Amino acid sequence: MSFRQARWEEPLLWEVREPKAGTPSSEATARLPEAVRRRKGFRWPELSELEVARHFTRLSQMNFGIETSFYPLGSCTMKYNPRVSEVLARRPEIADVHPYQPEGTAQGLLAMLWELEQGLGRITGLPNVSLQIAAGAHGEYVALRMTAAYHRDHGGGARDQVLLPDTAHGTNPASAAMAGFTTREIPSKNGCVDLAALEAALSERTAAFMLTNPNTAGLFEEQILEIADRVHKAGAILYYDGANLNAVLGKTGPGKMGFDVAHLNLHKTFATPHGGGGPGDGALCVGERLKDYLPVPRIVKNGRKFHLSYDFPRSIGKVKTAYGNVGLDLRAFVFMKAHGEEGLRRVSERAVLNSNYLAHRLGKHLPRPFKPLVKHEFLLSGAPLRERGVRTLDLAKRLLDEGVHAPTIYFPSLVEESLMIEPPETESKRDLDQFFEAFLRALQDSPERLHAAPMNLAVRRVDEVKAARDLLLSWRDLERVGKLAGSPDPSPSVSGTAKPSPLPAK
Amino acid sequence: MVRWIPGDGEEEKALLAELGLSSIEELFRDVPAAARMSRMGLGAPLEEPALVAAVDRILSKNQTLGSFDAFLGCGLYDRYVPAVVDGILQRSEFYTAYTPYQPEASQGVLQTLFEFQSLWVELTDMEVANASLYDGATALGEAMLMARRLAPGHRFLVPSNLFWERRSVLENYTPPGDCQLVEVPVDSGTGRLDLEFIAREARNDCFGVLVEYPDSYGIVEEGLLDLRRAIGDTPLVVSTDPLALTLLEPPGAWGADIVVGEGQGFGISPSFGGPLLGLIASRHRSLRMLPGRIVGATTDVEGRRAFTLTLQAREQHIRRSRATSNICTNQTLMSLAFLAYATALGPKGLARLAGDLTEKAHRLASALARVPGLAAPLYDAPFLWEFVLGTGRWDPREFLEAMERRGVLAGVWPEDPRAGRPSLAYNGVLVAAGERTDDEAIERYRKAAEAVVNPAPPPEEP
Repeated sequence: MSFRQARWEEPLLWEVREPKAGTPSSEATARLPEAVRRRKGFRWPELSELEVARHFTRLSQMNFGIETSFYPLGSCTMKYNPRVSEVLARRPEIADVHPYQPEGTAQGLLAMLWELEQGLGRITGLPNVSLQIAAGAHGEYVALRMTAAYHRDHGGGARDQVLLPDTAHGTNPASAAMAGFTTREIPSKNGCVDLAALEAALSERTAAFMLTNPNTAGLFEEQILEIADRVHKAGAILYYDGANLNAVLGKTGPGKMGFDVAHLNLHKTFATPHGGGGPGDGALCVGERLKDYLPVPRIVKNGRKFHLSYDFPRSIGKVKTAYGNVGLDLRAFVFMKAHGEEGLRRVSERAVLNSNYLAHRLGKHLPRPFKPLVKHEFLLSGAPLRERGVRTLDLAKRLLDEGVHAPTIYFPSLVEESLMIEPPETESKRDLDQFFEAFLRALQDSPERLHAAPMNLAVRRVDEVKAARDLLLSWRDLERVGKLAGSPDPSPSVSGTAKPSPLPAK
Repeated sequence: MVRWIPGDGEEEKALLAELGLSSIEELFRDVPAAARMSRMGLGAPLEEPALVAAVDRILSKNQTLGSFDAFLGCGLYDRYVPAVVDGILQRSEFYTAYTPYQPEASQGVLQTLFEFQSLWVELTDMEVANASLYDGATALGEAMLMARRLAPGHRFLVPSNLFWERRSVLENYTPPGDCQLVEVPVDSGTGRLDLEFIAREARNDCFGVLVEYPDSYGIVEEGLLDLRRAIGDTPLVVSTDPLALTLLEPPGAWGADIVVGEGQGFGISPSFGGPLLGLIASRHRSLRMLPGRIVGATTDVEGRRAFTLTLQAREQHIRRSRATSNICTNQTLMSLAFLAYATALGPKGLARLAGDLTEKAHRLASALARVPGLAAPLYDAPFLWEFVLGTGRWDPREFLEAMERRGVLAGVWPEDPRAGRPSLAYNGVLVAAGERTDDEAIERYRKAAEAVVNPAPPPEEP
């Protein structure tokens, strides 16, 4: 396939037109004490509406999205974001509703949120749900604060340690540390939790064990029930990182597997758009042990009326302004309603089928670690390419030249030169086959071509080392060092040989 | 059924055949029988027309702000968003993309984030900004944690009039054990923050001082501008409003170390409170302590300007338990909304809007000041588009309910609804002016308030 991305030399807004200092109106400033009036205006350009539209449209043309490109970014579940959700989320009956208006005037939204909570409770088997969660990592953090409160109330105040497998998403240890826990990694065996190592690590100091299932190697943890049993016998909480829920809808759920709490990434499994990095949309689903600790308010149904209730004395309180990313919750609700029971089950079936199909075909060309049966994503190792002086990073950049997004690379770190590939259920066989062909072309390319990639995009390989060294983080910084438009850098350092930084999942 | 899964079943057969399998169920043989789920208990699938009808039926039970005279704020505002902004947000290359881990394929998102960072630096007069946090409340939490990395001490000074939601979020971001929130008193008569208390306590085992500008009463406190001298090296965290900074001397000019804010008012609809936009900016010297994604300018191998995520060694995917924050997914699309809105209005448009809203709020306050029994504003202090309306002998909740019956959403009672929590110093509601607060709306508010507060005496019994 021949692909060329647009290559606009689009200036920064401040370079489109000389910025003007915004000058406050005199009547308004006259209301303020002299000392607090802005002295120097902020510098910001005055553009026509067409200039605004053209600037951003051109920038958009230098960006891959799901509607332009297959996007097999492992652990991110880059599925189609239904257009109908975009239309519905813009209805004034949601967009133009204020969180602090009387709850009697927002009954439709409360009903929608309540029904979504009920649905997510059924899907996960953990019936108590809060949608006041911004994203996955936020859900982890909130759940760990709840876990701390739970242990404090149950004589476990000394439980200061969170265990997690060495394949865990980076957010897991980061959330645990933020919530005041120390972390300890449990080594994997054949890509899955080593039960003996877990048992040895569990103690009266363990607050929780965090796990995603299927895990980041795309493998289903077949010993999950034994894991749950050991964690519970030790008095700890079993935490489900829901990043990979797209593999198991209607087949199993965190509740069935014995988890006490699960965060869901509705921006993955429930198709709310990723927005170029956010907003995400989170949900926290919990069973009996943690239910009293969920954030307030909780939505309560009294007869036919819905009510925001604060009457949960053990609740940890608020974790976010208002009630969550409601505009995105609506999109998740649309996804759940459209698919229904049967459709959601098919979502996971097709995602797992796509993944196994691609794994099977690509596995003939690059080594696949661990057992052959995978769930929604799988790992390949680019290690053999090293003989030709090629790294996984080069392969990833070369794939971009084919108009497909690169997989997640260098994560999880237990596989050398890893590629993590997730082809969600919305991709057709034709898309998968085209990706396979593109992948093969890339593999067969010369090392020179691979090192030179990408060639067909808005820019060639980007010098990340220089970015970290120069630290030019705003227009002001560029202005300070004289690097505004029209002054190309005379001495670029070459990063083609630079050590690749891990490109993470999630 | 919606066609979000390709093929009509035939494709599945072809894929299975390649795998040498006869049924999809074989792909789930690694799920133990005891963990299997039989039914979730969800409904039947819906076709798109039925789906839209079902959602519209539910949404029809909401009343929009436009169907009232609404004066709600408390940090979240109802403002007109130019159509061009939504046109930009609807470019699917922006809204369906993921975090720009592959910079070569993501220059569009990266440049907009770089421009967004630049704009927030410009508005605050700070030196560096990140690409966003979840919302203004969690940004407060992150700012507190950042201050703790910058300075020794165990106490963080917080205004006692901080809106209870923000306070509660802050408590949930407070590290357990050796870290304590200390309330700075607010004078119940004047509504003013006790700056002398801050000056006295800031150097006593404090790792940071939080102030709001304007504060949760809407007050712009000029004494804040002299705080830097009074607190020495203790990190100063300022929570502010981006539109206010078009009028106010920016915190960067008076020595703030960290500036945070809620960006919703710039191009983001209220949407019942989300998605929102958390803003944060700081200094070059504390850059490595900043949480979240940061975009930097660099070049490609041919010397062409390019942008990329940088300083990722602070982040969770590299640093894991030693990261500056756990944040991964942020609010990138809302950063784009913020940027596009500010671009669409331009410097004059933004300053004019800030000026207009300020004028409208002051006209509203003057009108309500004529209603016997109300105090508008309750505190004699500078304010912009939001102020405390004293409801006198009226319970604020009863006042709001009575006003609602007259079609006026008269403000927010910003009280912690959880039992047993300390209550506000005042008896009143927080009232915000918006673009729809024209003279007619002001007059309707005044008349309704008049009728509620001073009802005509009932006719005498015969």
